[in-house]
Amino acid sequence: MLLRSTEGGWGPVVRAFHWLVAVLIVAQGAIGLVMVDMGLTPAKLRVFALHKSIGLTILALVLLRIAWRLTERRPTDPPAMPHWQRRMARAMHIALYLLILALPLSGWWFNSAANAPLVWFGLFDVPSLTHGYAPAWKPRALLLHEALFWLLVALLVVHVGAALWHHFKQRDDVLKRMLLGPRRKSGDT
Amino acid sequence: MRWIFVLSGVALAYGMAMPAVAATWQVDAAHSTLEFTNSYQDVRYTGQFKRFTAKIDYDPADLAHAKFDVGVDITSLDTQNSERDHAALGANFFDAAKFPRAHFVTTAFHKGAGGTVVADGTLTLRGISKPVELQVRFAPHGDDATLDVTTQLKRLDFGIGSGQWADTSLIGDRVTVHGHLVMTRAASTQAPSH
Ligand code: HEM
Repeated sequence: MLLRSTEGGWGPVVRAFHWLVAVLIVAQGAIGLVMVDMGLTPAKLRVFALHKSIGLTILALVLLRIAWRLTERRPTDPPAMPHWQRRMARAMHIALYLLILALPLSGWWFNSAANAPLVWFGLFDVPSLTHGYAPAWKPRALLLHEALFWLLVALLVVHVGAALWHHFKQRDDVLKRMLLGPRRKSGDT
Repeated sequence: MRWIFVLSGVALAYGMAMPAVAATWQVDAAHSTLEFTNSYQDVRYTGQFKRFTAKIDYDPADLAHAKFDVGVDITSLDTQNSERDHAALGANFFDAAKFPRAHFVTTAFHKGAGGTVVADGTLTLRGISKPVELQVRFAPHGDDATLDVTTQLKRLDFGIGSGQWADTSLIGDRVTVHGHLVMTRAASTQAPSH
């Protein structure tokens, strides 16, 4: 099927999920860092609400993305890739999936413990994970949200570095087969 | 025959004086609450003032002598969200540093629609005094009673949230206040046990 990944490359669904989630996470991280330093104004509260709504959207997309990915095969690795690198790449990708799942969950958890409102883009109420105010969990949830974010930043540096290394040093198609646009056949340049 | 008139006159006078005295209540602070409901980002939330005092003189058969006098410690605000409490007590909202107390005192009582009792009074909040009407529900059980009062206020009438915080799409203007008092008849006015 056209939507599916093949031996030669990722299908359009995987690639669309990859870039949609990537763009949202970069924007979300920037919004998060900026908003916490804003003075207390109605604008700050609206930016907080936006951060939460985008974060929940990311959570939903990541769940769909993982569900789809579990039904997919992986394109074959470049033949030149040593065994340890293949294992590292797999471990890295699993870690990234877990992080982009845990990060929005930790934000939701913090928001619940703080007993702050949670309305997805002003449209519907999202339930609390803590059944109301849970001040004792607040500092732990916030610390987790921040720690997971910086851990994700660190892994993304490695992830992007590895993609560029494949493209410019190894000159294989690992980066190209994730890019958007018409499907490239393996071996094209 | 004359003495009968005298006697009934005394009884009548006593009977009329009685309610004003008999209607003083002691409020059980531990079981009484003063709550309000408002909306924030379109989500309703309830807050309470944990410390308040209420002097209640009330007999439903003698509204002319009824009186409520309530003092509220604004700093005892609790909305189950420490950031919100902190912001609400700040200068933009209650400004508790300048106005640590609110005060409500009745001026008169009247019967509302359907025979309900309405207390007319003056609420002084954040230095602003406005007339306020309370819906009164009184339920006596011997020497105990509960008194439930409800009213609707507008936060902007009292300058709670001005300037950019006057935006009611973020913080609703309407606030429903509900007081629930658990009371016992004050010792000196307890009905004689038969
Ligand atoms: C992939 C998704 C997310 C990313 C990348 C992300 C990132 C961030 C970042 C970078 C911060 C600033 C941390 C700091 O410097 O203190 C932050 C704060 C925050 N995030 Fe998220 N976040 C995500 C999802 C969520 C979700 C889903 C929620 C809530 C439902 C949420 C709620 C919050 C809140 C309330 C804060 C402010 C914490 C405070 O008051 O200091 N986040 N987030």
